[in-house]
Amino acid sequence: MKKILKWIAIGVVCLIVVGFIAFLYLIPPFDMLPREAFSQPHAAAVASSLDKINDPVERALAKRGQYIMSISDCNGCHTPQGDQGPNWDEYLAGGAKFEMIKPGTAHSRNLTPDKQTGLTRRTDEEVKRVLRSGVFHDGRIFEPTFMPWPAFTNMTEEDRHALVTYLRHIKPIKHDVPEWSPNSSAPLNSFYPYDYAEHEKKK
Amino acid sequence: MKFFSRGMVLFFAGTCWIGLGNYLLSSPADPNDAAQASLGKTIFDARCSPCHGISGKGDGAASALLNPRPRNFTSGMFKFRSTESGSLPTDDDLMTTVKNGLYGTAMSDWAPFITGDSLKAVVNYMKTFSARFQNEKPHPVHISSQIPSSAASIVAGKKVYAKLQCANCHGTDGAGAGVIAKDFKDNWDFETNAVNLIEPWTFRGGSSARDIYLRFRTGVDGTPMPSYAGTVSEKEMWDLANYVVSIGRKPVWKMNENEIREFYAKLDAQAKADPVERGKYLVRTIGCASCHSTYTDDLRLVEGTQLSGGLTFDLYPFGKYVARNLTSDMETGLGNWTDQEIKRAFTQGISRDGRKFLPFPMAWPAYASMKEDDQNAIVTYLRTVPAVHHKIPDPEKPNIFSYLWGKFRMLILKERIPSPAYPMKEATEQQPVSQISPSATKNFAARADREKEARP
Ligand code: HEC
Ligand code: HEC
Ligand code: HEC
Ligand code: HEC
Repeated sequence: MKKILKWIAIGVVCLIVVGFIAFLYLIPPFDMLPREAFSQPHAAAVASSLDKINDPVERALAKRGQYIMSISDCNGCHTPQGDQGPNWDEYLAGGAKFEMIKPGTAHSRNLTPDKQTGLTRRTDEEVKRVLRSGVFHDGRIFEPTFMPWPAFTNMTEEDRHALVTYLRHIKPIKHDVPEWSPNSSAPLNSFYPYDYAEHEKKK
Repeated sequence: MKFFSRGMVLFFAGTCWIGLGNYLLSSPADPNDAAQASLGKTIFDARCSPCHGISGKGDGAASALLNPRPRNFTSGMFKFRSTESGSLPTDDDLMTTVKNGLYGTAMSDWAPFITGDSLKAVVNYMKTFSARFQNEKPHPVHISSQIPSSAASIVAGKKVYAKLQCANCHGTDGAGAGVIAKDFKDNWDFETNAVNLIEPWTFRGGSSARDIYLRFRTGVDGTPMPSYAGTVSEKEMWDLANYVVSIGRKPVWKMNENEIREFYAKLDAQAKADPVERGKYLVRTIGCASCHSTYTDDLRLVEGTQLSGGLTFDLYPFGKYVARNLTSDMETGLGNWTDQEIKRAFTQGISRDGRKFLPFPMAWPAYASMKEDDQNAIVTYLRTVPAVHHKIPDPEKPNIFSYLWGKFRMLILKERIPSPAYPMKEATEQQPVSQISPSATKNFAARADREKEARP
């Protein structure tokens, strides 16, 4: 009787260990999930309803901007990462950390129209200047490898206007993002998306 | 004899020292100039070098993805001037460019950030890159008095447009699709296009009648756009300028509901009719080349490797993944992939052999929402990119133990794992793009004060 119990106990422990290893091995299940499990949440997050915009011109512009947003990878950096990929509840709220010995540390910024922490603080022209020339509202130029503005600058001014119009109509989220700090003492370059712990701490 | 030689040596050395002393004393003849030069350099390095490069060669860290490319100041050739064709621009021309930026390009409007003495300092510093500014003087054109726009002037202008055959390049309707406007290159060997004259907000040199008059009066140096000085009378030139102003269309932000709907329908139709152009636009704005290219250790895109792959992403603990060759090379690129296979790779993240990509760094879940037409356009464009033979190594997966250990640290210990996704080394040419050094500004402020005092 005792022997059997012992073996059962050993078996259970083994199962737990094996299960844990299998869990570690398989999570996040990138290979096992169907491909739509990634693309559908993305499409759903971008497709916030724009029908409540009254002005038809504004609505048409925002729709065009929405399409541009859906095929660009602004999310990849500006939507915070959760354990299982982007945390869609915080769509475009920013906060991913980018650091290099030189030039320093940046955090992707809050693009939602929040009054205290988001893009509402910037004029249309200031947002467009970022997307056109990588120039921040204080005149600093963004690191092209942190925020890939050299690609976005190839957009026509009309599409840029549409994109900014869209950003003005998404859900506002209060999320304060640390300001830029030059010459950080970071030991290594680091790049998205594995900043789980950092993000957890802030929450 | 001995004495003499020692004396000679002393004498000689003495003269040298005096000479050197004189030189040292005289070279910063005016300490203010030195302060200005150092202020100019500080501003240039912080504000302009990311595009124009530390040495002004137009090869800054961001330059390789921009269209048009940032100007190479060492060539001493400038597009937007109020001076004769081939001549240097005036200081005012350069300051206007820096203040207003060049619309429709990455060149920003610096007026909110760089003013007064700083503006002068940066323009003077910029001029040191080319010896032309020391040896030559600008020859400003004589601008005749402007003829205000009127219906008659516009009608006359249209005739001048036909007479001077602007349509060959800019198209009969001005939309930039003239018969010879294909594959234009500028003097720096980069692509350029005959500007679309019905979109005045994209005129780099400005959209007023005076700006337009200056463009064809002086020519756009370094590009196929010639100078029309002396070909027609001054009156005809102003008529032409008024005509070009008159053909400008409304930008989307001024359209009404119907106009905007028709406009977007037209854009879709155009995209379908010219998939190469649309594909090029998408590939450039999404920035496929910002990953699918080779970089040096200090994070500079190697010129000519655009779209041929090479950037390595170290996605610890998942392994090292290299952005692949998208050119049409048969062996190492997409040359013998079918359209369907290419589309599946960038919209579903499945390679030709069935291997599944991680949902990062390439955002295929985002590209999945691309319209069918746009996906086709990207493929059509990629097929026109000249083939580059560049073999990309397969992804490097870690062994199972370090993989599990890495996952454990990441998911259970919640450690922040530094993942050197980009190769790390101190950037050499890339200065910290931060504040202007306070000392330089202080020196300059001191100088300005002194100047004020000197004035009666
Ligand atoms: C590779 C990551 C990355 C991608 C992709 C990216 N961004 Fe950013 N973005 C950043 C970072 C990092 C910053 C902050 C840079 C800094 O402070 O130096 C930033 C800053 C910005 C800002 C400035 C916000 C402010 O507070 O003024 C705007 C606007 C912006 N991004 C818009 C966009 C848009 C629109 C897209 C998609 C078309 C996009 N970004 C894609 C990383 C990214
Ligand atoms: C974001 C990139 C960028 C930055 C930053 C930038 N430029 Fe430029 N600049 C350009 C591009 C692109 C062009 C070329 C446009 C063209 O060929 O039409 C250009 C062209 C110019 C020209 C040439 C105009 C002519 O007539 O040919 C001058 C002068 C100039 N820039 C000055 C500056 C100065 C001074 C600064 C810093 C205060 C600066 N630029 C910062 C992108 C930039
Ligand atoms: C040989 C082809 C060619 C012909 C002919 C030509 N252009 Fe151009 N034009 C160009 C090109 C190419 C550019 C763009 C130059 C550049 O890279 O900035 C240009 C630029 C311009 C611009 C400057 C827009 C800006 O960005 O500020 C104006 C205005 C213009 N052209 C008007 C005319 C007029 C008016 C005529 C007839 C008198 C004419 N062009 C004839 C090729 C041509
Ligand atoms: C953020 C960086 C990044 C961007 C932006 C990017 N890619 Fe990729 N791409 C990659 C990486 C990394 C791989 C290799 C993935 C792997 O091997 O698992 C890849 C693979 C591919 C492949 C598969 C090629 C092969 O030989 O297996 C295609 C096709 C592709 N990308 C097309 C595109 C297109 C088209 C765009 C622009 C719309 C684009 N990529 C933008 C990083 C990027």
